[in-house]
Amino acid sequence: MKRLPSGAFVKILLIEDDKETAAHIVYALSGEGHEVTVCHDGAEGLERARAGGHAALIVDRMLPKLDGLSLVRQLRAEANETPVLFLTTMSGLNDRVEGLQAGGDDYLVKPFAFPELLARVHAIARRGTHTQDSEPVRLRAADLEMDLIRRTVHRGGKSIELQAQEFRLLEFLMRNMGRIVTRTMLLENVWDMNFDPRTNIVETHISRLRSKVDRGYGTELIHTVRGAGYSLRAD
Amino acid sequence: MAPSSSIPYAARDTVCVRIRFLRTEGFRLSAIYAGVFALSVVILGVFVLVITNQALRDQIVTFSAADVAAIQNGYASEGIHEAREVINQLMAGSGTSDFYLLQRNGKVVDGNLPAMAERTGTVDITASPVTHNHEVLGVGAFLAPGLYVFSGSGTHRLHAVQAHILNVMLALFAVALLLAVAGGALVSRSFLRRTDAMAKACRDIMNGDMQLRIPVRGTSDELDRLAEAINEMLSRIAALMQNLSQVSNDIAHDLRTPVTHLRHRLERARTDSKTTGEYGAALETAIAKADEILGLFAALLRFAQIEGGARRAAFAPLDLEALLTQMRELFEPVADETGHILQLTVSQGRGLGGAVIRGDRQLLTQLFSNLIENAIVHTPPGTCISLSLAREEGHIVARVSDDGPGVPREEHEKLFRRLYRREASRSQPGYGLGLSLALAIAELHGAKIGIADTSGPGLSVEVCFPVPSEG
Repeated sequence: MKRLPSGAFVKILLIEDDKETAAHIVYALSGEGHEVTVCHDGAEGLERARAGGHAALIVDRMLPKLDGLSLVRQLRAEANETPVLFLTTMSGLNDRVEGLQAGGDDYLVKPFAFPELLARVHAIARRGTHTQDSEPVRLRAADLEMDLIRRTVHRGGKSIELQAQEFRLLEFLMRNMGRIVTRTMLLENVWDMNFDPRTNIVETHISRLRSKVDRGYGTELIHTVRGAGYSLRAD
Repeated sequence: MAPSSSIPYAARDTVCVRIRFLRTEGFRLSAIYAGVFALSVVILGVFVLVITNQALRDQIVTFSAADVAAIQNGYASEGIHEAREVINQLMAGSGTSDFYLLQRNGKVVDGNLPAMAERTGTVDITASPVTHNHEVLGVGAFLAPGLYVFSGSGTHRLHAVQAHILNVMLALFAVALLLAVAGGALVSRSFLRRTDAMAKACRDIMNGDMQLRIPVRGTSDELDRLAEAINEMLSRIAALMQNLSQVSNDIAHDLRTPVTHLRHRLERARTDSKTTGEYGAALETAIAKADEILGLFAALLRFAQIEGGARRAAFAPLDLEALLTQMRELFEPVADETGHILQLTVSQGRGLGGAVIRGDRQLLTQLFSNLIENAIVHTPPGTCISLSLAREEGHIVARVSDDGPGVPREEHEKLFRRLYRREASRSQPGYGLGLSLALAIAELHGAKIGIADTSGPGLSVEVCFPVPSEG
């Protein structure tokens, strides 16, 4: 598997009672150089999370002693803002909403592919370090510039006309600059689709966006990461 | 009865069975009726006794008064001699319970009673040996000053009549009670027999004989109606179970194919792969296969959640025109790539103030995605796919139509079946769940979904949403 471009190694607390899933996640994250602590029940997990020092928590919804939702609600009530990625079993329609309402930052449906897990952990871990930042009005990647107020995009001084959906897609890529975003992350965040379409919606939209943002300019900004997703990089 | 704890279990069981009818509704009703009837017999008895007592006493007094009048007449016409003659005649013609007395200045002149207090009008004499121990009721009067006459009869005959009436009443009471108990037992036994038959049928059905039904007599009484209702419920449950087992079978079949393919690929990879590259490629396809299987699971689980109806709580106002516009924008690049033409037409009917309904955005996105993707996947390049929105006869109708090869009419209904895949499309990816999922989502929204009858070519799926009521 291709190595994912990752930032600094971080400490992650995994609260998951299923030993095999836990081992799977530990394997994936330590392969990236992260340090993972595992707890097998909710009560122990809450204690460890309170102790702090983690860049992100990965919390299973169903846990012995204290369920994942209650655990995160408790943490948030104690003003603990450590980013949380919920793990949930297949396709709970309301799981995402419930998870976000409880104070989670993202959620991931089991079973998942390694790249999906890594991309989401990177996204929330990074987000966590920037929570104090005020909402930006401008996003920049090399000579690409997006004005979030006027809803305009320029590259190299030239204005680029984007449709509403293309704008949202580019905005999501730029907000996650340098990180990998997966197909599923795009479907959920850009189109609010929590199911797998049978046609290549994401690929065709990315291709359109590329033709407007990258074609005719010297360097490509939107990169395809094989087997994982896409990444907008200025390097 | 002995305390129940001393009765062996088996015996207690039979006792229970024997007296079970006592606890039935039929018996309870009969008991109440019997009680009411018995009470009315008692009231009637008391009433009859009081009335007959009064009537018989009146009769005695009337007869006695007539006797006294006859004696008075005799005295008036021919003096004391004739009066005595009349008394003697009366005494001769009467039984031992009739009493007469004629006394002058407290001394007995004639009759069969000793001297007594000279009371006039209705006179009651307490029982004594002289009156043969009977209470005597009669009439006293003066024929002339100092000349007192009395005529009366014993009241024991009256008591005999009363005792007789009482006996008849008691017999009546006993018979009524007996009939009520017997009738109640009979009614409740037949009731019990029928409810027992129903209970037995229910147990047999529970034990797996789903074809069995509760016996119906055909009298359309309350038990029949209950039995019919239960039978209808059983038929519905049987149909649902049939459907469920059909789907489970289909799922088992549909899962077996990709799992078998997965197994084949892994086996071939083990024997054929020589290099790490070959192994990697084999594993890649194996993972893709596994994902396909998991996708099928996810889709099936989604059905359960949609059909559960819990999502209805989160319904919010939603503009279908805006949604379809987004859908067109969403699929336009895909259609462009596959060589399809995707267009949207909104025909605003009279007074259509937007096409706002109450619904779940994510689910409706999935509904229209499924319809549009179906059209893209199952029609050749160059096909025009049109989304349209119109207001027709109180409905908001959204259509996804294409001018492709279409589907034979006889297959239209089958299209919405779960896991149904047309022969022609078996080579295409998919599980045959798209339209049935669209159906489930439409039903959640109270909308009807169907294949429109069009004379033109292609297939047109229409979704009729009810217009939400004002407020």
